[in-house]
Amino acid sequence: MTTQFQRLLDGVTQVRGVQGAMLVAAEDGLVVAESLMEGVRGNAVAALAASLYKRFRQAMEAAAAGTPHFLHLQGEGGTLITVPAPDAILVVAVGVPDMNVGLVRLEMLRAAEMVG
Amino acid sequence: MTQARAVEPWTLEPLERFVAESGARLTLLMTPAGQVLAQYGFTRAVDVMSAAALGAAIVASTGEIARMLQEREFALLNHQGVQHGIFLGAFETPRGRLLALVVYGPDSSVGLVQLFFEELVRGLVAAAPVEEQPQAVLAANFEEELNRSLASLFGQ
Amino acid sequence: MSLVNFTTREITCKIVYYGPGRSGKTTNLQYIYERVPGDRRGRMVSLATQTDRTLFFDFLPLELGSISGFTTRFQLYTVPGQVYYNATRKLVLQGADGVVFVADSQARQLDENIESLQNLQENLLEQGVDARGVPLVIQYNKQDLPSDLILSTSELNEALNFWGAPNFSAAALEGTGVFETLKAASELVLRKLSEETPT
Repeated sequence: MTTQFQRLLDGVTQVRGVQGAMLVAAEDGLVVAESLMEGVRGNAVAALAASLYKRFRQAMEAAAAGTPHFLHLQGEGGTLITVPAPDAILVVAVGVPDMNVGLVRLEMLRAAEMVG
Repeated sequence: MTQARAVEPWTLEPLERFVAESGARLTLLMTPAGQVLAQYGFTRAVDVMSAAALGAAIVASTGEIARMLQEREFALLNHQGVQHGIFLGAFETPRGRLLALVVYGPDSSVGLVQLFFEELVRGLVAAAPVEEQPQAVLAANFEEELNRSLASLFGQ
Repeated sequence: MSLVNFTTREITCKIVYYGPGRSGKTTNLQYIYERVPGDRRGRMVSLATQTDRTLFFDFLPLELGSISGFTTRFQLYTVPGQVYYNATRKLVLQGADGVVFVADSQARQLDENIESLQNLQENLLEQGVDARGVPLVIQYNKQDLPSDLILSTSELNEALNFWGAPNFSAAALEGTGVFETLKAASELVLRKLSEETPT
């Protein structure tokens, strides 16, 4: 099972500039599968990204805007992207500031589709 | 007003930070025997004691199972409910071995609690005094007050 | 180990009710629970089997009130009495400030009493505690049973009380001796606490 999940992540991590990708249990904030470069704090990113996603979802619902399909946070030192997948799983990717967000998004959506 | 309360004041700052960051609803810091050092979120002292006794019992009994399996220990335990989760962690400090019991709701997660638990442990280890300074406790004639307390307790 | 907080002036002590199976340890706590006003006690926690035998422990927290300016709380625990629950007994005994040994006064239970007392001593020793240094009170329970079934308190003292511990005759179901036992144990525990710290 893990190998299958690992393969899903490979598509994301092959994009240039991506430093790591994870499948995260949305409710627990725990890592289900990960493919990370050294130095990326997987557990911390997973817990905090899941918590953020939960908050954003609540905000979107409060605004009657439905559920968020895509969360993109851009910082000086890097990029964090979160995409919801079926079965309460999140696909989370981190990368350099100028990574190809469009391509990463495409690969993450593809991975999310295959999770279910 | 803060809802945190510490029997040993050095625990207060790391505890408050942990609660703020992890989103925990209730937190207890205690000795392995279930004596409470600090708490957050409980309203009645007697409820704190019951929760501590039960939490310490869970850690102690899984510790025994670990010993039987020749496992080092189950340092972190998580019980997931529908509305709440309970997280239990054991760790060493200069003050001795301590336990944390954390109750969290839907606005937090086991991942967040676990993440900030590590920070809590670091904070407590750094803040812990090596040994307690002995101080005078009870007046020589404490029996009289004790008798009065017990008599009122039993309605005598 | 008692927990003393000088800042908030609080003392918390742990007293463990020990003894053989069915000697009346839980009954002691139940009686205390029923007699103490709700605002001075917590919920009584009982981890018991379906047949109401103690599986892990019973637990009752009590607010004694202010003693020497300290808000004083007692945590009362019972251990499961049956021989095969020794692992859980050891866990409950950890950090005890005082022990109430509830003996069953029935003549046919004498061996069980002796075995349980020895077990107490062994378990304390295993935790690096000399039983003679632990505040101990002995309660001879079920003294209300017909006299041909039970041993007198002096006979029981002879057989069990090697340490000359304070001892009380009791009928815990009716509450006789329960209060006196707790009072004596509380006194011993607090006296030890005040002696251990310099004045």
